[in-house]
Amino acid sequence: MVDITMRVNGATREGSPEARKTLADFLREDLDLTGTHLGCEHGVCGACTVIVDGRAVRSCLMLAVQAAGREVTTIEGLALDGGLGVLQQAMWDSHSFQCGFCTPGFVMQATAFLADHPDAGEQQIREALSGNICRCTGYQSIIDGVLLAAERNREG
Amino acid sequence: MAEIVAERYTGASIKRSEDPRILTGAGRYVDDIKLAGMLHAAFVRSPLAHGTVLSVDVSAARALPGVVAVLTGADLEAMTVPGPDPLMALFGAAGPTPEFTLLATDKVRLMGDPVAVVIAESRYLAEDGCELVEVDYDDLPPVMNATCALDPSSPPLFANLGDNIARPHSRHEFGDVAGTFAHADRVIDFHIDVHRHQNVPMEGRGCVASWDADLAAMTVYAATQSVHVTRNGVATRLGIEPDQVRVLAGDIGGSFGLKIGASREELAVAAASRHLGRPVKWVEDRGENLMVSGQAREESFDVRAAVSHDGDLLGLDVTVVVDTGAYPGMGMGAMVPDIMQAMLPGPYQVAALGFESTAVITNKATYVAYRGPWASETFVRERVLDLIAKDLGLDPVEIRLRNIAPRTDPPARMITGSPLVGVTTNESLERVAQLVDFPAFRRRQAQARALGRYLGVGVATFIEAAPGPRPEAPDGALGSESMRLRLTEDGIVALFTGQMPHGQSHQTTLAQIAADEFGVPFEQVRVVVGDSDVVPFGLTGGSRSATMTGGVALHGARALKAKVLDFAAHLMEARAQDLLITDGNVWVRGDPASAIAVSEVARRAAAGQFGADVDAALEVEATFDGGQGGWSGGTHCAIVEVDAETGLVQVERYVAVEDCGALINPAVVEGQIRGGVAQGIGAVLLERSAYGEDGSFQSATFMDYLMPTTCDIPRIEIEHLETVPLDADVNFRGVGEGGMIVAPPTVVNAIEDALSPFGVRIYEQHLPPARILELIAFWRPVEDG
Amino acid sequence: MKLPPVEYEAPTTVSEAIDLLAEQLDEASVLAGGQSLIPLLALRLARPEVLIDINGIAELSGISATDGWVSIGAMTREYVAEESEVVADAVPLLAAALPLIGHEAIRSRGTIGGSLAHADPAAELPAVARALDAEFVVRGPTGDRVIPAAQWFEGYLTTARRSDELLVEVRFPATGPGTGVSFAEVARRHGDFAIVGLAVSLALTGGVISDARLAFAGVSDVPVRAAAAEDLLVGERPSTELFDEAARRATGDLDPPADLHGSSDYRKTVAAAVVRRGLRAAAANAARGSD
Repeated sequence: MVDITMRVNGATREGSPEARKTLADFLREDLDLTGTHLGCEHGVCGACTVIVDGRAVRSCLMLAVQAAGREVTTIEGLALDGGLGVLQQAMWDSHSFQCGFCTPGFVMQATAFLADHPDAGEQQIREALSGNICRCTGYQSIIDGVLLAAERNREG
Repeated sequence: MAEIVAERYTGASIKRSEDPRILTGAGRYVDDIKLAGMLHAAFVRSPLAHGTVLSVDVSAARALPGVVAVLTGADLEAMTVPGPDPLMALFGAAGPTPEFTLLATDKVRLMGDPVAVVIAESRYLAEDGCELVEVDYDDLPPVMNATCALDPSSPPLFANLGDNIARPHSRHEFGDVAGTFAHADRVIDFHIDVHRHQNVPMEGRGCVASWDADLAAMTVYAATQSVHVTRNGVATRLGIEPDQVRVLAGDIGGSFGLKIGASREELAVAAASRHLGRPVKWVEDRGENLMVSGQAREESFDVRAAVSHDGDLLGLDVTVVVDTGAYPGMGMGAMVPDIMQAMLPGPYQVAALGFESTAVITNKATYVAYRGPWASETFVRERVLDLIAKDLGLDPVEIRLRNIAPRTDPPARMITGSPLVGVTTNESLERVAQLVDFPAFRRRQAQARALGRYLGVGVATFIEAAPGPRPEAPDGALGSESMRLRLTEDGIVALFTGQMPHGQSHQTTLAQIAADEFGVPFEQVRVVVGDSDVVPFGLTGGSRSATMTGGVALHGARALKAKVLDFAAHLMEARAQDLLITDGNVWVRGDPASAIAVSEVARRAAAGQFGADVDAALEVEATFDGGQGGWSGGTHCAIVEVDAETGLVQVERYVAVEDCGALINPAVVEGQIRGGVAQGIGAVLLERSAYGEDGSFQSATFMDYLMPTTCDIPRIEIEHLETVPLDADVNFRGVGEGGMIVAPPTVVNAIEDALSPFGVRIYEQHLPPARILELIAFWRPVEDG
Repeated sequence: MKLPPVEYEAPTTVSEAIDLLAEQLDEASVLAGGQSLIPLLALRLARPEVLIDINGIAELSGISATDGWVSIGAMTREYVAEESEVVADAVPLLAAALPLIGHEAIRSRGTIGGSLAHADPAAELPAVARALDAEFVVRGPTGDRVIPAAQWFEGYLTTARRSDELLVEVRFPATGPGTGVSFAEVARRHGDFAIVGLAVSLALTGGVISDARLAFAGVSDVPVRAAAAEDLLVGERPSTELFDEAARRATGDLDPPADLHGSSDYRKTVAAAVVRRGLRAAAANAARGSD
């Protein structure tokens, strides 16, 4: 067991996970933040995506101990007042999702991407999200949600 | 006097009520469930495809700190009631019933076959424990394809069957098959293969089973398409009464036909929970999901087509062999030939059909229902039409227009019996032709070819029974849909339905219908799902919910409204027939000032101030049998580019003209179509459940089983046809499966068109880049010199 | 799919890490970015006794340019190298290859050194290193060794690094003027490992190819320099016929592996296409650069 402390969604959180425990499992089990999902546990599907120190990462490919001292944002942390951020609202308006299982990964990856590329067009967005798998939607509605969010962000 | 005007929800893309929780990580999926004292299960799985189990030594595993129990197949037999899959009881077996134990005891029949279950304090420890279980196997020769399975000398997987036949050979004929073939201008033969691929929902199978010894009651938190079917399966296996089992389902991460009933692993977990008196969780990981959860579509077809020189498709004679894998599950593999047979003529006037089938058993994962399980009949038919067209020098659109049954009154009947009532295939094909402009495409195609680029266009049509025309809608439990509707004390119109949405947005669409019919705002309707103690029997699947559940919601809301108005009439001292409900208020026609909130009416009913002669129980039970039912269908078109140097294919454009009757929520409908089309594109270009000849499973990670991504699926343009209503009220038809049924032939037809300079003919569905180059090399005309 | 039990060490200096490696030798795996190692652990295909996590060793990160070389610390994240102007200016072939590595989230964690120490022959960075004759600096108990790329890649997932050594730095020679580069890749999907990839660097002087470097990904158990093609190209002017012949020479002796995604013959065919496309792109880049 390794004692660790990290900031998660703006709050200081502590735990004593085994070194082998992934950040994804630590968030879900030790911190009760079950919004981050496990879709493959080998880094391909992107459902486990969170933001660590401003970068989108696959939390199934990080050990919890590696996040010690870091700033982690999960899907639960995007709108701490319980509301919806611009991206989430745009995705709601665009009917982006169906079963919802891939959703947290897409939302976190798109959040990180839009922060760095606020003027991205459709092709760029498709490439940026090509590492997130969705089985329900055929992706178009997700892309539309991201494009709408980018437009609304520009309008301010 | 001013009228109160309310919004209309049906037909609008109302935002989903599911989304606020989905978008904020507040969804509750099975793996999110945490119960006090909960343990975790992991399964010891066979590394062999076929073998006898000589011994199982669990002592080292049991001794591992953190491991609470290890149960072998034999242990589980002692604590459960043997029997077939509960879904076979629901649908009826189409072939002989193999005998096997819940977990493997004497034999393993596929790579990954579960042999023992380790229950531990965490999934990490449970997997550690699995590694310490020592199993001694004796190899048996694996049966890895239909040829081997059909050979009577192949080692039978199931001792009680004696052979590897899941459904014996049968043949049926419709119309004058012999005569049609004898008098046809041409008879053309094809062999067509569809490959094994699978559902792959983003969430795997799993459950949390929790046995309460004091109450002798089992609670199962499940991911399932029907809480009742799961309940019945658990009860049967544990030898308890169904009302001792409560199945709860929250959010479900997709299923596409996979999560129906209860898998062997889930039943083992339920038994383990009862044995230990503690909750036990098992959620499969991606490796398990790919290897053992179930697979579909491995079918091979011999097709004979009787045609005229002008391109009339006079008759078809089809033989199919279905590879159903090792365990029958719900028996879909053995059943699917019946549906294929019924559907094969499609919207075309085929005068004669011969259909024979066999289903075989092999050392592969169970054949399960996968979104449009019968879909290969559309693949075969639409491929054959293109192949015939090429053979006769005809245009693929023209040959279809020539053969589609015209819309008549009474409607034409498929030679297999169903009436083609309300089928608009002609219109959809003509509309596709307008949207795509084939002549312009042919010019572009020719220009591209001159530059060494290979573009192609393909079309395909389909119909699906969603739920099917009267009286051919399914019988029995699925022939009708029930719903309980109640106006609660706080004025909420609550719909209790056995539907179990797993992406279909029922909590939104059913509320739209009920809100419109009853007269309350959308927010004042709540759709209650996922509790077998509370909701009536139901199952989400088969593209039936739009009609069946939409219909029962409509009629039920109407009946509930009548009851509420009867009660309100007492409150308001008016006649019920003079009362209206709009925008959540009850009021006397022509007198807006009389309005009382529905919530107030509900409160007064609950307060019970009226005597026995006033019915204040504001609840109804409704059942709906589908009304006039009907077909959904349409035409899809794809434009692709094939890179002839690498074999890579890009779908450049995809157009779908669909007829699914009246739309409840267009955004939901379009999402279903696009998702299905994406799965079809994935099947053709990327996805294959791969086995080696030695029985090893070779696509157990997402590095090998390739899923389509944002860069593989284009924008899918969708148009809906305004159709002739068949029913006075309920004209919503299902749309869940159509995209996946028709997209594969659409894309394959386009690829063959792109490769026509090489003379390529395609008789298979899976076309990875290497295969494309093989086809080009095989078919291209040999150069002189 | 949970990781197996493993001991964990998190040294904060290189010498601490080397001490641990010297103690554990083959029982240890070095955990850098984890994007390749953690999946192997999750699948229980890798079973080290000890994980030596070097993410806490600050001295291992950094990019600097001196004396015609660009030195990249082994723990430099791929996304940092991708955003680096030094890399873009001086090692354009590396800059061209980096965006092809997986997806952004992978590059958030994946490292230059980790990828090159893992040495997957289908990965982009080994081909780039091989094409440019990069140098690998390893440090062990007895000091530093500098290993040229030609000797670094020994076999499938096997490098010249000894069990008691840590890869601390990779050096890339700065690319001269008039050089055009490309990384051409055929993959099943955007972001996938290459079925076949090719790192190309062509220097043009007065319209004549003065230097040609071609290294394949995905055609063997190590990245492969297409020496016969390089010899053909030097001294010639770019042309379709030249590039076609280069493709034939580059692929004639190849015996690529077969897997689910393609047979050996398929990979050979694709390799030829990749050579043609890669050379065309690099030549075009060189022409642009010299305008």
